[in-house]
Amino acid sequence: MQSYYTLIASLPQLPREFDDGPIPISAATLRHRVSMLDHHDRQIVQQVSDFFRWDRQPRDRSDVEIRETHRRLVAEIRHPLVAQVVHHRFEMRMLVAALRCQRGGLPPPVFPDLPLAVWIQRHWDEPCFRLNERFHWLARFCQAIEDHQPRRAQWHLFTELWNHWSRLNDQYNFSFESVVLYLARWEILHRWASQNEQRGRQRFNDLVDDILRTGGVNC
Amino acid sequence: MDEPMVEMLGRIGIYAPLFLGAIGSILGCAAGGQAACGAMLDVEGGYGRLIGVSALPSSQTIYGIVVMLSMNGSYQIQAAPGMFAIGTLCGLALLFSGWFQGKCCASAIHATKSKPEVFGLSVAPAAIVEGFAVFAFVFALILAGGLPSAAGGS
Repeated sequence: MQSYYTLIASLPQLPREFDDGPIPISAATLRHRVSMLDHHDRQIVQQVSDFFRWDRQPRDRSDVEIRETHRRLVAEIRHPLVAQVVHHRFEMRMLVAALRCQRGGLPPPVFPDLPLAVWIQRHWDEPCFRLNERFHWLARFCQAIEDHQPRRAQWHLFTELWNHWSRLNDQYNFSFESVVLYLARWEILHRWASQNEQRGRQRFNDLVDDILRTGGVNC
Repeated sequence: MDEPMVEMLGRIGIYAPLFLGAIGSILGCAAGGQAACGAMLDVEGGYGRLIGVSALPSSQTIYGIVVMLSMNGSYQIQAAPGMFAIGTLCGLALLFSGWFQGKCCASAIHATKSKPEVFGLSVAPAAIVEGFAVFAFVFALILAGGLPSAAGGS
């Protein structure tokens, strides 16, 4: 029986909100800590990491390619929580893609094989595809798009993901699922922080100033 | 039931509190110890108290030793079923209390790591679990005292 006490306890607490402060652990340190897992768990973590890397895709991928990736992932992924994380992320991507097409007056894109796709196609001409009740973030997201505020729209997406994964995390304690959800939430932190170059540069300068002021570096 | 079988049950009852209590301590201390080791990678000081908390489930083994010694005197064969029942059930209580106390300790270590000021309160759940182990221990001693010819018995 694999035990996760050491790994979970070695991971620093994530902030309460994803836009609340710096990332508490670097990518290199996180990789090093995750290397405590056994081979089987590392493979699952690799699947999660690969998915997130793919999720940061360049925009020139075709709908058919995305659909094929979804099919491949559904066939490959065996861990129920990882499947749930991927499913939830695909649903959000699909909604965002559908909204963009709808606003641009384009026909519905080629969707992955998900039950939600049928619903969206059936309600294509209706505002927010009549999904406001099921996806509460959708109205706020649409409003941000209408206000030409892409960063705010992204913030709403990340807030939904962050809250969903934080709620899931509350169900687990010192288990592999906690590790997966930690990685998923760390990914949001990292993506959000990567978007804010100006703030990153300011923080770096502040850190350098702090070190120089306290004499932390001996030349 | 054959007399050797009854005697064997009695012997199991004598050893069960220590055996099961030790398993509880092993599981509990392992959980707490692993969490303490992990936390030490993430904090800059206060290592001693992390290790101290992780050792809390050791007490179940001590309770097991005391119950075992209290029943290990000369006894009559009629006392064997009673010794089996008391020893095994007390041992099970010690096992679960040690195991789950370890989980409480791991959570306390995890909480203390990010918020050192809650150290005292975070150990309270582990102390409450310990309280139940003490109940099982004390009443096992009292009941064992009432067995025919057991130590202190009638």
